Amino acid sequence: MAGNKLIVQAKVKASTILEVLISMIIIILVFGVAMMIYSNVTRLSLSVKKIHAQAVLQEMMRNIEQSKENISQSVVSGDFTIEQSVKSYNDNANLVGVSLTAYDDNHQEVAELRKVIIRRND
Amino acid sequence: MYLVIVIALVIGILCSSLIVVAYFYRAEYQRKFRYDLLQNNLDSGINILLAAPDSLYTRQTTFSLFNKDADSITIQKSVWGIYNICAVESFIQKDTLFETFLTANSVDSAKWAIIYLADEDRPVSVSGKTTIKGNVFIPKAGIQSAYIDNKAYEGDKRIIIGEKHTSEKQLPGLDSVRIKLLDKNFALKGDSLTNKDSVSRSFLKNTKVFDFKGEEQTLEQIKLKGNIILHSDTTVTIDSTAALNHVLIFAKAIIVKEGFNGNCQLFATDSISVGKNCHFAYPSCLGIIRLNASKIVSQAKISLGENTAFNGLLFTYEKNPSDLKPMISLSKKDTIKGQIYSQDALALKDQVVIYGSVFTKRFVYRNSFTLYENYLINTTFNAKDLSPYYLASPVTPVASKKKKILQWLETN
Repeated sequence: MAGNKLIVQAKVKASTILEVLISMIIIILVFGVAMMIYSNVTRLSLSVKKIHAQAVLQEMMRNIEQSKENISQSVVSGDFTIEQSVKSYNDNANLVGVSLTAYDDNHQEVAELRKVIIRRND
Repeated sequence: MYLVIVIALVIGILCSSLIVVAYFYRAEYQRKFRYDLLQNNLDSGINILLAAPDSLYTRQTTFSLFNKDADSITIQKSVWGIYNICAVESFIQKDTLFETFLTANSVDSAKWAIIYLADEDRPVSVSGKTTIKGNVFIPKAGIQSAYIDNKAYEGDKRIIIGEKHTSEKQLPGLDSVRIKLLDKNFALKGDSLTNKDSVSRSFLKNTKVFDFKGEEQTLEQIKLKGNIILHSDTTVTIDSTAALNHVLIFAKAIIVKEGFNGNCQLFATDSISVGKNCHFAYPSCLGIIRLNASKIVSQAKISLGENTAFNGLLFTYEKNPSDLKPMISLSKKDTIKGQIYSQDALALKDQVVIYGSVFTKRFVYRNSFTLYENYLINTTFNAKDLSPYYLASPVTPVASKKKKILQWLETN
């Protein structure tokens, strides 16, 4: 049995070049906006790296609180470079303001932790 | 046709559930991040209060910790009897964490002594089963064993198991500034406490003062907790059915009935009498304060009934010494964990156990026939069995400058 013959008699509807161009521009614009939103969401949302950095800073802060002598320094801990800044707080000899900032390999700030601690003298 | 709709529905449900999971995960993560930040700021506030002198932050103060975003805290420190109470709040917009706690000072080990007996040029004698473990400050005349009531000394041959130092003629003084602050509370005015069976007040709010004025009142079948001060111009009786928790009472005289169990600071100008089998939880205080000499008509006295356990500080303070010397009197089988500061005499009975420290001018022991002065008979003094976490009130002479958290009170 022979197959059906395709008979094209009616005219197929098409768009003008202007319509195609406008639709393409709209699609590109919408896609661009969507990508911007997406990148924003991924940047601000949960990141394992950020959580890890936060945990490293908390651990480091605990050690600083137990330590007698603390100085401003830069420490490399795992994948992060941690800037440790120690300053006296409000001119109180017993208090110290500690600021820890974790940076990744690209020197992008990943996490930050600040705390006022009591200077250990004993 | 239907198959296409079903597949589309399944895919739709899967996609939306993924979005919901991601949303909640992110929301929880941000909540945890905010909580950590608030907790960090709260800890900073606690450290600031612990390091600040007593004169600072007596009013509620709100400030930014590092002049950055999301680091605001509110802190306040106030006097609560012989201790200090601190309140810290950290907040980011509507999220708030708060903590209230009692602070006291760590003990100055150089001044701490199981016995500090002022030097009145006479020795101390021990008899019966007396034990003294810890450093002592005693008169130059020293310490000796004695034969009393047909009993010889049966304790350790060294008598004092610890270092022996010579005491001064005068006792190291209590902090007069703090005593004056306490004395101001005897003039407090407030509301009446009627038809109430339970009152609880947060330390984040203003202190609630109840004033009995000149009426003798008995506290019974009532629960009082927190930031509450009771004031009376006459006698207050506390029944064993009353539940007191961190409450302060200022009255002319206070009577605590047999079997009371609670945690409170009681201050009187005349006397405090505690019945048998009572239990005062740490940190409690019984104190006699007399700053105004003209009103004195009776002996300032704190007396504890038999088998009572007290945890905290017992003290007497008389600004101008009178003929009727202040006295703290303990009964048989009493246990004191903490400090006793008796400006004049401390009366002891058999089987009294003191874990902590005693500062007094003289010891008194009375049996059926005789009154003995500076004789320690069947008494246990043991500084080593006091909890290593014990903190001294800043009013006492053994308190060091270092402040620590004594007790957490309220949190969220």
